[in-house]
Amino acid sequence: MPVDKDTMIEAIDVNKEYRRAGAIIRALADVNVTIKSGEFVIVQGPTGCGKSTLLNVLSGLDLPDSGRIIFDGENIARATEDRLSRIRRQKIGFVFQDFNLVPTLTCIENVEALLWPTVLREKEIENRAIAALRDVNLLERKDHYPVQMSGGEKQRCGLARAIIHRPRVILADEPTGNLDPASEKDVMDLLKQINKDMETTVIVVTHRGSLSSYADKVVRMEKGAIVNIK
Amino acid sequence: MAFRLWRKAVLMTLREKKIFTVFTLIYTSLIFLTSLFIELSITGEIGNIAGYFVAIFFGVSLFLSLLYSWIIVSRNRRTWATLKCIGYTNKDINSLVTGKIFFTTLIGFIIVIEILFHYTAIIGYLKSADINLGIRTVLIGLGPVIVTFAIFVVVQLIAIILANRRIYKVRPIIALKKVGE
Repeated sequence: MPVDKDTMIEAIDVNKEYRRAGAIIRALADVNVTIKSGEFVIVQGPTGCGKSTLLNVLSGLDLPDSGRIIFDGENIARATEDRLSRIRRQKIGFVFQDFNLVPTLTCIENVEALLWPTVLREKEIENRAIAALRDVNLLERKDHYPVQMSGGEKQRCGLARAIIHRPRVILADEPTGNLDPASEKDVMDLLKQINKDMETTVIVVTHRGSLSSYADKVVRMEKGAIVNIK
Repeated sequence: MAFRLWRKAVLMTLREKKIFTVFTLIYTSLIFLTSLFIELSITGEIGNIAGYFVAIFFGVSLFLSLLYSWIIVSRNRRTWATLKCIGYTNKDINSLVTGKIFFTTLIGFIIVIEILFHYTAIIGYLKSADINLGIRTVLIGLGPVIVTFAIFVVVQLIAIILANRRIYKVRPIIALKKVGE
């Protein structure tokens, strides 16, 4: 099937089931969605509706039971683990609800860590990390450990880590879930700015309806199915 | 690339001060005692019992090395899962884990070498000055130290293999689960 060159990610007839305590839970039911390059997409829905599962399969962290995930022209539903790792390193930036910074590394080292397994020189990695931290207004905290930073700062550090390699897509799972309203606005404004300035596709999973104003497209899910796209 | 990851593993290990200090000191003691009892078993000064002690120290070393590798993998599961999420391969993470395990053992050895210099100097002085403290004084030769080094390398390799197998089982998806979930 030919893929539109503007299409960044396409989920085609994707199904995913989990077995929990003997019961089968249908996490994704015949999901079809197309995300274009440079779009800011928000996936919304109540807890347990399958939005995080959708994020997992779109990024290759989890494989669908059936269907296809076309990521930048490649069906990742059939890719090997090593290939998926490389795709994530080159093309995807992750932002986590719990920040997931390495506690024994400083802010700048956490950002640099993504590029350690690459052939780039140390100086180049450092320069990129400094640029990424400048982009998220966190350069003055570069030598601080995660424990010395506030929630908002930790998330901005996570954001810098997500953009250091100039990814095609940023996937954010409840990125403001642990933040106060002011930090939430900071983080969402930064995501929007990255989306505009770098033309990075941004996919945010959230249960907060108030964030819809940032989106070009809102995907609403219920019981594993997409019920509305607007 | 692997060299860079080993260097970063050293950095991360040094910053986990408590665990690093405890295990380095335990390894130092075990390496010294194993060398001493291998020497005693060669000279036959205390009979077969020296051999039993060597076997016990080998067992303890194996147990502690496995414990250390288990701690490195299990305590940092979320870190390894996050690194997998952001694009680290199993091989990359194994380089970090291997670097951590080897570095701790290496520091233990360096400390033992330093201790052996002082120990040999003290024993040498006591013997040359004919001072009898009423305790058995044994000089540890190079042979037992090399044998101990070989034993510890084998033990660490076993620990690394098991740690690497555990790393394969860490699913990146863990990183997306909420803390405590």
